[in-house]
Amino acid sequence: MFEKVLIANRGEIALRIHRACREMGIKTVAVHSTADAGAMNVRLADETVCIGPPPARDSYLNVAAILSAATITGTDAIHPGLGFLAENADFAAAVEEHGFVFIGPAPEHIRLMGDKVAAKAAAARLGIPTVPGSNGAVRDPAAAQTAADGLGYPILIKAAAGGGGRGMKVARDRAELAHLLPIAQNEAISFFGHGEVYLEHYLDRPRHIEVQILGDGQGGVVHLGERDCSLQRSHQKVLEETPSPALNAAERSRIGALAVGAMRTLGYRSAGTLEFLYQDGEFFFIEMNTRLQVEHTISEMVSGVDIVREQLRIADGAPLGYRQAEIRLSGHAIECRINAEDPVSFRPSPGRVTDYHAPGGLGVRVDSALYQGCTVPPYYDSLISKLVIHGKTRNECLMRLRRALEEYVIGGIETTIPLHQRLIDAPEFIDGNYDTHWLERFVGRRG
Amino acid sequence: MRFGGRRPSPLAPDPDLIRTLAELLAENGLTEIEYAVGDRLIRVSRGAPAAAAVAASAAAPLPAAPLPAAPGAGASGPVIDPGAVTAPMVGTAYLAPQPGTPTFVRLGETVAAGQPLLIIEAMKVLNEIRAPRAGRIAQILVEDAQPVEYGAVLMLIE
Repeated sequence: MFEKVLIANRGEIALRIHRACREMGIKTVAVHSTADAGAMNVRLADETVCIGPPPARDSYLNVAAILSAATITGTDAIHPGLGFLAENADFAAAVEEHGFVFIGPAPEHIRLMGDKVAAKAAAARLGIPTVPGSNGAVRDPAAAQTAADGLGYPILIKAAAGGGGRGMKVARDRAELAHLLPIAQNEAISFFGHGEVYLEHYLDRPRHIEVQILGDGQGGVVHLGERDCSLQRSHQKVLEETPSPALNAAERSRIGALAVGAMRTLGYRSAGTLEFLYQDGEFFFIEMNTRLQVEHTISEMVSGVDIVREQLRIADGAPLGYRQAEIRLSGHAIECRINAEDPVSFRPSPGRVTDYHAPGGLGVRVDSALYQGCTVPPYYDSLISKLVIHGKTRNECLMRLRRALEEYVIGGIETTIPLHQRLIDAPEFIDGNYDTHWLERFVGRRG
Repeated sequence: MRFGGRRPSPLAPDPDLIRTLAELLAENGLTEIEYAVGDRLIRVSRGAPAAAAVAASAAAPLPAAPLPAAPGAGASGPVIDPGAVTAPMVGTAYLAPQPGTPTFVRLGETVAAGQPLLIIEAMKVLNEIRAPRAGRIAQILVEDAQPVEYGAVLMLIE
């Protein structure tokens, strides 16, 4: 096993990876920007290297600085965490070229799934159902209208290089499609540097269901059940739960087996997530994330599998060592993403945390790098804590979540805790009756 | 920067060895020790008082007060000496243009603005670090071949 792992990330996910390393007796190297010099993941690390000034492009996205830090510390392997360089195939390749182990998938799989058009084609080849869409990019309105007629309106225009919900437009008819296409192409250029867009049939009330996969690249692949991430605002996930209240046992095992089969054929290595839209009993592949995900925690709570530990073992060349039949999913788990934002206006709220008290007790997990007196810098993502609850049943989980939110104190900055408190009291949420558009309406109604 | 330094890479010096040499230096009241094995040579000198060769601190229990920010930390960071020469990148600092040649500058020497002071090697590229202003080299705070992080104070110019 590795002796020393460099964690090329920050905040709660860097701390999450540090924890897995320390439990395996592995030394950690924290790389950080000047803004994060006092961060908890840096304070706990065995070694630390400041790699640059606050802007991410000069620090957490600075490949040369990260590889130099790995060199001077004698690191064996690099974990990219999520965001930043986690899905950058060139970074993964550079890590390997410099003689370090990249804790993640093969660079070619990152590259394949990073191109949304190629990913969808690959999924179709692997036998995974996809949303009916244009075969490849559309360039002009006439071609787009011809393609759209065959797919049926409404039509979603997506950037080929897109992600995180950026660069998407919905057209209700032919005229709107002709109007929106050049706008979407220009946005794609400004966001992603590539103007290529493609079309998909737009599902009007889908749920976002994703399947957590672990593969060893040696034929071993298991899934850890699904996650329902339908509660989104501006295409950002807010609260996730597993199992999904919408799936029955037959649908669950069908989509799980499909994902496992596809990943075995691909020879996929490390943790990954296949994301689907689900409507009227049908699943449609949208994309695959070739990395650890923020909401991996809830799959851990119901399966008892430490996903980061498995990533480390797999990167070290170990086989999974267990089969699907040995994965037991038990109870219900929910994750609330707590952001440093105003709970009504969603304006970012960085600053000093003057008071901090995390909830505890049975079935309560808090993944956060916050501590009393720490500073939430204004330069990065606003996610500051993940409150993760496990219960024997969904009802027990909801009751426990309610009391844990009551206990949680984060003083000095605004957080989205009040939003979660309102959300879990909504009858539609309690009934599990929501789709990907529901939260947007709920926030608009009450906010 | 905290380095535990268990397994030095080919480019990094052995911090345990440097620490041992530094202890010998202090115990015996010496000002300089040179130690060579094969083509690797380590010189530990007491010319620069603040130059802990490679600051080694284990993952200590958390102090009650926040840790001092790294040198050059953002807006709320400590005030940096205006004569400080800081590292613009992570890498390995070299005081001489080539192994075995004289150092770019010596302690007490007067330098002109823009004069080369040292090299930082990052990603196999040698980056020359030049004097930001004219003055006398008051302190040299790095050892030759010492790993440095972004913002580390390398030298002080009076």
